[in-house]
Amino acid sequence: MRLIGIREMDVDQIENLIAFSLRLKAACRNGGELPSLHGKSVGMLFLEDSTRTRVGFEQAALRLGLHTTSFGMQGSSMSKGESLKDTVLTLKSEGIDGLVMRHKCSGAAMLAADLFEGPVINAGDGMHEHPTQALADAMTIIENRDSVAGLVVAIVGDALHSRVARSNIWSLTKLGAEVRLVGPKTLLPKFPAGLPVEICHDLHSGIQGADVVMALRLQKERMTSGLISSTGEFASLYQINSRALRFAKPDCIVMHPGPINRGIEIDDATADGSQSVITQQVENGVYVRMAAFAYVFGLNGEQQRKSKARSRAS
Amino acid sequence: MKIVLKGGRILDPSQDLDVIGSVVLENDQIAEIGTKVDERGADELYDCTGCWITPGLVDIHVHLREPGYSHKETIITGTQAAAAGGFTTIACMPNTDPPLDNPALIDFLLDQSSSPEAGGVFVAPIGALTQEMKGERPSDFAALKRAGVVAASDDAFPLQNSAVMQRCMELCRQVDLPVATHCEDQSLTMGASMNEGAMSAVLGLRGMPRTAEEIHVARNCLLSFETGCPLHILHVSTWGSVAIIEQAKDLGAPVTAEVCPHHFSLIDDQMPPFDTHWKMNPPLRTKLDVETLISALAAGIIDCIATDHAPHARHEKDVPFEQAPFGIVGLETAVGVTLTHLTHKGLLSPLETVRKLSTRPAEIYRLDAGTLKPGRTPVAQVAVIDPDLEWTFDVNKTFSKGKNSPYHGCVFKGKTMLTFSGGEVYRDQHWDKRPQVQNA
Repeated sequence: MRLIGIREMDVDQIENLIAFSLRLKAACRNGGELPSLHGKSVGMLFLEDSTRTRVGFEQAALRLGLHTTSFGMQGSSMSKGESLKDTVLTLKSEGIDGLVMRHKCSGAAMLAADLFEGPVINAGDGMHEHPTQALADAMTIIENRDSVAGLVVAIVGDALHSRVARSNIWSLTKLGAEVRLVGPKTLLPKFPAGLPVEICHDLHSGIQGADVVMALRLQKERMTSGLISSTGEFASLYQINSRALRFAKPDCIVMHPGPINRGIEIDDATADGSQSVITQQVENGVYVRMAAFAYVFGLNGEQQRKSKARSRAS
Repeated sequence: MKIVLKGGRILDPSQDLDVIGSVVLENDQIAEIGTKVDERGADELYDCTGCWITPGLVDIHVHLREPGYSHKETIITGTQAAAAGGFTTIACMPNTDPPLDNPALIDFLLDQSSSPEAGGVFVAPIGALTQEMKGERPSDFAALKRAGVVAASDDAFPLQNSAVMQRCMELCRQVDLPVATHCEDQSLTMGASMNEGAMSAVLGLRGMPRTAEEIHVARNCLLSFETGCPLHILHVSTWGSVAIIEQAKDLGAPVTAEVCPHHFSLIDDQMPPFDTHWKMNPPLRTKLDVETLISALAAGIIDCIATDHAPHARHEKDVPFEQAPFGIVGLETAVGVTLTHLTHKGLLSPLETVRKLSTRPAEIYRLDAGTLKPGRTPVAQVAVIDPDLEWTFDVNKTFSKGKNSPYHGCVFKGKTMLTFSGGEVYRDQHWDKRPQVQNA
């Protein structure tokens, strides 16, 4: 199995993965039994920098008994000019059972999966998708609101260049939420017809009545390339802070996929405030990645429970 | 040697001819053409019943890749692909390594292309517009023209500096050399790899806005009007470019334009996600653009069809989409795509189809091609096309080294059967399956 993008998944697959993640969370906290992938190995190809995603996958692998071989651009033959294709084929020939890949190019995970012909998880490809982040976000919303259906979610900031936004758009709308993208014209898709979203350039009307407000990281290079005039101006128009949150529902939750630029897309007080679920998103990332490993290796929650039940019966 | 092409539909736009008849080739010259010809003493007789007999096709936008990139294509494989597509004269682009910016390289190219293996296809070189294609200093156009170039172009490295373009046009005007331009304001396309639209938004690929093309189409048309230099706009892909070209022609600017088969048959939304065989520049656009391009071609606002045949090696395309080079092969699908998408749909008559694929492109670069009039080409250039043959395109069976085509597996109606040029004959495998008696 492969987990490349939320766009190609159906609602059942998404719901099952989240339900499985919730069960894994409970099991981890209560010392319950976890599925085992002992004896399997995964290659962690992080060809672009990452903290939380990489550590999240490593932690998830550790808890499942999965062996990881981790490498990046530096220290591998890719720095000698070996192609992605040959790298993937090499890992496959060396008996690696699965792949987790982060790459700066959109579509790279699909290419790797087509070549590897085995379990592959996309850990973020260019501006395309970041499925495990979106699953962690949906799981966090469900923990706080029971269901995603019927909620209004405002995604604020640089959605144009964001793989997190793209994956969240698909997962949240498939689960029944209304999604709005809020930001300046230069940071939102110009032709959003293919995405099931509403576009809004004004923060207040964009987060009006929102149940969930998700701030996206503003990359510094957006200024150097002239897409906005300054971080100060962006902050004055689109920062998530207590003033902005007055327009959302009083009990709305505040999310951020990280890494955070405090004082730019979100202020300090809100990031650390009572409505913020940012650390919960990060924690849930580990359970989602455990579920993702089990999913791509063909273990799903149902089978696991059955095997447990059988072992109890015997 | 006497060859008789018997009983086909003769389509020759250069004399507005559309009749059932025969064509006689004698000693590589067109000897006779008409409803009643002298078949006696024919060494070879081809029964062309149900086929078109046309002037050899002319493609004025081909990348032959030599010198420098012979792993993508060679002059030999490129000309063989041309012959298989029905093309007897092709114009090749100068973005080689080194670029075709001096007479010695033109000599090399002409020498290679006249080898017997080249299938008798005539190669008309296009010279670099600026030295080393760096976009700074104009090439020596007089020397290039003496060496045999038929135009000068910035294709693949579109001139960003308007002053340099203006000077190049002044100098080309002086030696009466057409300038062919790839229109793209690259400040608007940095890092982009497909059309900016709904699909690029979904896939998370940076999009190339249509305005990036149109700004340069407008600029180059204005410079052509100012300098009087003949300007040929390469691979027009947007409805906006069509509107600007129409206006420039109305003003009297000496402007011509071409459209590629992929731009009138495919749209960006149809692309299988991240399939690098669908990556080319300009990119595939939208349904409205396709419809506008087709009506502009029929109306003559766009003058002709050219393939932008751009072969690449497999390993160069087997990479993430954004890192893959632009371009697809086109010589061996041009007839199939054009007949299937235009002629059989009634959007272009058979005679106009041949005009756009042969007579008109020959006129643009003033090539000795595109006609069946006896004595008007150095040797006979003739194509025989079966307009009704249905066939499946298999990219692994092409003559071109490049296997980068979005049409692999597509069914087309219409195929080149025979190509006669420079004393050489290309004979398609489908010809031998025809029930007719072929030899006298």
